[in-house]
Amino acid sequence: MKIDRRDFLSLGIGAAAGIGAGTALSPLPWKLIDDSSIWSQNWPWTPVPPDGAVSFKNSVCTLCPGGCGITVRKVEDRCIKIEGTKGNIVNNGGICILGLSGLQLLYGPTRVKAPMKKDGGRWKEISWDSAIDEIVKRLKNIRKEGKPESVACVSGTDQGTVAQLIGRFLTAYGSPNYIRTSSIADSYEIALKKLHGQFSSIGFDFENSDFVLSFGSGVADGWGSPVRMFKANSKWKDSKDKALYQIESRLSNTAAKADKWIAIIPGTEAILAMGIANVIIQKSLYKKKLIEKYSKGFNNFKALVLKEYSPEKVSKITGVKKSEIIAIAKKFAGASRPVAICGSGQGRTPGSIFEFMAVHALNALIGSVNNIGGVFSVPEPDYIKWTEAEKDDVAAKGIKTDRIDGAGKKYPDTRYLINRLIDSINSTGDSPVELLFVNGANPCYTMPDTENVIKAFKKIPYIVSFSSYFDETTEMADIILPNHTNLERLEDIPLAAGLIKPVVGLSMPVVEPECNTRHIGDVFIQMAKLMDGNIKASFPWNNYEECLKKTLGDKWDKLARDGYWVDENSRASRGIFDFTPLVKNNRNLVKPEGKSKLTLIPYDSMRLTVGYIGDPPFAMKTVEDTILKGNDVFVEINPKTAAGYNLSEGDKARLTTSKGKAKVRVHLYDGIRPGIVAMPRGLGHTEFDEYLAGKGENFNKLIGPVEDPVSGLDAAWGIQAEITKT
Amino acid sequence: MSTIDDKATEVPEDAAGESAETVPPEQEKEEVAEKKEINKGLVIFVFIAAFVASLIVGWILFPMVLYTQENQPIDFNHALHLEEVENSCESCHFFREDGSYAGVPKLAQCVDCHDEVMGDDLDELAFVENYVQKNIEVPWLIYSQQSDCVFFSHAAHVKAAKMDCVSCHGDIGESTSLKVYEKNIITGISRDIWGKNIGGIKLHSWDRMKMNDCAKCHKEETGNQGACFQCHK
Amino acid sequence: MKVDTKQKKFGMAIDLDKCTGCGSCMVACMSENNVPFKKDETNKLDSITWIKVYKVTNDKKYPDTDLCYIPRPCMHCDGQHGHAPCVSVCPAVATDNDKSTGVVSQIYTRCFGCRYCMAACPYHARYFNWWDPVWPEGMEKYLSPNVSPRMRGVVEKCSFCFHRYQLAMDKAYVEGRRELREDEYQTSCTQACPAGAITFGDLNNPKHTVHKMVQPDNKHHGKPKNPKAFRLLERLGTNAKVYYLSDRKWVRKLGDNQTPNEESSKKH
Repeated sequence: MKIDRRDFLSLGIGAAAGIGAGTALSPLPWKLIDDSSIWSQNWPWTPVPPDGAVSFKNSVCTLCPGGCGITVRKVEDRCIKIEGTKGNIVNNGGICILGLSGLQLLYGPTRVKAPMKKDGGRWKEISWDSAIDEIVKRLKNIRKEGKPESVACVSGTDQGTVAQLIGRFLTAYGSPNYIRTSSIADSYEIALKKLHGQFSSIGFDFENSDFVLSFGSGVADGWGSPVRMFKANSKWKDSKDKALYQIESRLSNTAAKADKWIAIIPGTEAILAMGIANVIIQKSLYKKKLIEKYSKGFNNFKALVLKEYSPEKVSKITGVKKSEIIAIAKKFAGASRPVAICGSGQGRTPGSIFEFMAVHALNALIGSVNNIGGVFSVPEPDYIKWTEAEKDDVAAKGIKTDRIDGAGKKYPDTRYLINRLIDSINSTGDSPVELLFVNGANPCYTMPDTENVIKAFKKIPYIVSFSSYFDETTEMADIILPNHTNLERLEDIPLAAGLIKPVVGLSMPVVEPECNTRHIGDVFIQMAKLMDGNIKASFPWNNYEECLKKTLGDKWDKLARDGYWVDENSRASRGIFDFTPLVKNNRNLVKPEGKSKLTLIPYDSMRLTVGYIGDPPFAMKTVEDTILKGNDVFVEINPKTAAGYNLSEGDKARLTTSKGKAKVRVHLYDGIRPGIVAMPRGLGHTEFDEYLAGKGENFNKLIGPVEDPVSGLDAAWGIQAEITKT
Repeated sequence: MSTIDDKATEVPEDAAGESAETVPPEQEKEEVAEKKEINKGLVIFVFIAAFVASLIVGWILFPMVLYTQENQPIDFNHALHLEEVENSCESCHFFREDGSYAGVPKLAQCVDCHDEVMGDDLDELAFVENYVQKNIEVPWLIYSQQSDCVFFSHAAHVKAAKMDCVSCHGDIGESTSLKVYEKNIITGISRDIWGKNIGGIKLHSWDRMKMNDCAKCHKEETGNQGACFQCHK
Repeated sequence: MKVDTKQKKFGMAIDLDKCTGCGSCMVACMSENNVPFKKDETNKLDSITWIKVYKVTNDKKYPDTDLCYIPRPCMHCDGQHGHAPCVSVCPAVATDNDKSTGVVSQIYTRCFGCRYCMAACPYHARYFNWWDPVWPEGMEKYLSPNVSPRMRGVVEKCSFCFHRYQLAMDKAYVEGRRELREDEYQTSCTQACPAGAITFGDLNNPKHTVHKMVQPDNKHHGKPKNPKAFRLLERLGTNAKVYYLSDRKWVRKLGDNQTPNEESSKKH
């Protein structure tokens, strides 16, 4: 049968129609369309988080000294959210932006995954045994050469079993050089020692204060224990009778929250404090009976204050109106539970001791020392009761050598002087430090005069870092023995940040270690066991967990259950308040280095971490585009000042100081005093990862330390700068 | 019209050179009509054939190709275990304290009894050797696993609405072995969601678990289909 | 418009005098809801932040300058007839007003990314996934199974942490009840705020704190009776469920984004 074209066509159409009708009446096309649309929504690279049983685990956050209790929500064995622990004595359910981002520090590729050794400029993974062996070999050699004091440790804290284990190791080894990084904790410690005659930390009863006079402290910017301060601030806001006065040259978030912002010429806070003291004394608003009974040297102080700090003189120096000074003094003295605080921004730099003493004197004058709503001398928590480390002859000799950082010599009340450590290393031919341990600190980023610090670190022959991340200091190290991150770590956390009783928190491991990391406590115990007799004998524990449990004794149960333990029995001893050091160190005002018309000051923000932890990606995301745009950091300038330099909003400029220069952009801000340029701290990292590195500029490379005449610590609050449009 | 006639009268030269004999007009018309009949018939035949063929492809062949067949790692006998427990389905498929549903039980649940081999079943032996002793979770393939966008609350349906398990899951409890797990190769979703029938026709309430199945039941029981966020995340 | 007050109407009250601008709410939300992040987040037009903290000043010169931080989640508008502006325009019905809770839902699988809703929203509360989210290797472990991670081409927005409502109801059902206590359903930002500036609850329930703070007038589209409370862009009549409180007059006036000489419209 012949099929011609027409037939072929009709057959074809018939077939097609048949297929069409059949297919349309079959589920094939409809199911395919439905399935394809579902397929197009399920790309294999879009993660589908697996479900499972939910559990909650408590711990203490250690990302800043605040010590908030955290509750980690887990699904099976994955951590999925960090929340504040309800009922915790410090934060009662609240949590800050850094704590919330903690999971990005636990998971992710930025971590140091295993012990690393520098090999030809690159990092090479090595085993734990070979890492520890290498360090022990070096330690033994240094000891044989009779220079045990050339081994030093830079750490963020000296409290808690981990810090004390490292300190114990150094003592048994023969080195006095355990150096804590500096902050206002040092300044308060020294001020209290000078005025009260004993070493203690400072504590504040903010929850019961009704008038807080803050000399630049970032109450809403991360000062003290941040969440605790936020909650206290909200409590003050809830009552019409409570007030916060903020004395600062810039409208910070704290100043915006304050009931009154007193705009002051920066660096003159101490003078203002003395001026307020003048008004209080002159108008007899101070607690006469208390002063008579519990102080000495008051008459000299009174004479000095009345002579040199009249409101007129003070007004000229500080830029605060005379009437305002008198009003503040009256309000401060007239409140029922007032307290004065200081330590600018988050309190990361020590500052001027004269200022701390002047502000604390105000507290003494109106009777808020060791009183409800006031300021307390808080002894360090005394729960680590180990026997003294055993010393052999080498150790005994080494311990007696002068500290490399010169602390205790020229400045007898200063225990740690890290900026002098840098100078010591740079000023001598060979570095006095042969081996340096670095734990919980990132001095190559956080210390002022970055160039100088890096120069010093380059000279140190062998640096051991325990960091969990590749930070700036770790990049300079020769070997990394990565510690567990805070969520993987068992550790006691003495809380330092301003509570009125000594509190110890317990950081519990919430997950099994993600990487091949090891607890630093275990590392030191293992190293000790490989060292010589007396060092080995000083470390009787088998591992860190055993050491911690034995040390905590019967406090372990309470700690494991609640997450914290309060030493209710500690009593701040009522020493005599000695006004003499104030008179002796009168007028030690710190002036900014340099000779230009602009002064550069830093500012701290909750959203940019300033300590040794690099800002996680979540926190970086919240940074406004008037602070960071692309990779450019913005500096704040008053529009009046900017006009004088022909600068408009967003302009690119070069900021120069005697210590360095930076590429910046301009943000016009009315909340800053004319003549001041403000730059945020926390940017300008060069390490970590691409979410943080290369963004903005590091403030610390533009400023250098200025030695405080009383403490020797860095009292620089700003530096003269020049800005030119580019 | 004339073309056909022309063709009929034209004598085409074929290869052999022979010409067809001319055919008388009446016969021609008949033949043409016949041819038309045949053609039409052929066309209709082809149409029907194609129609039936594509129906077969769509209803029978397509589902065979669309779904993969996998066996469960262990052939679990529900009926046997149901005799041993007290709380029926909830003994192993229980609610946690926080209201979430445990779903398919974990190894810890089975190990309560199957710490060692209890009977002489080969499947149980494989289970104890390969999973219990090595402490590896059995990678069960879950028939009613919905896609990621779905939030299904067992608590709302079992506890609040007091539904039974059979209405949505069928008589799994009475099965003596686990059926083959079939997965759609395009979407990766289990066949039990769309339904056994490729056309989505369902005879029982447990035949299908798509959104409009849920919506229909919601409408009947609660009066409206429910808000989007009730079932999606 | 008749309002059934037995229905729940979940809303928020944010005390702008307590808010310190710390950004905890932003990160709590990102962590809870699997929000992605890029290497460079400084282009705020495509940076996805379901709750965003804006910063405004009173435009006065030094030293009278004052500033205020305004956290802005999705307003979950009720609109004029029970439909939010974004709900009215969605061609795919990917977003919908839920009458029983007041929450405006966003279903990612239904959205095809026309972004009409983004144009309709006056608060810029909606965000588009221009790119597929990429989590650095290992970080996908912290993703929560309660919220679907999105793919590119889909709009997302604050959901008032509705998954927490679902999970809280689960617990309630298992315990034999259908009502939630005030503290059982709280959004992630409310829970995290260290200053306690955010309050969340049922605006229709007179026992809930948020109702007491705001005193919404249901006869006038939820306008707050508390003179210190206001809503953003009140004059657009979006009938938002997020209220702000401030003692400062300049902050309250900013709510309607008025030009200096404009008087607030009394239409709604």
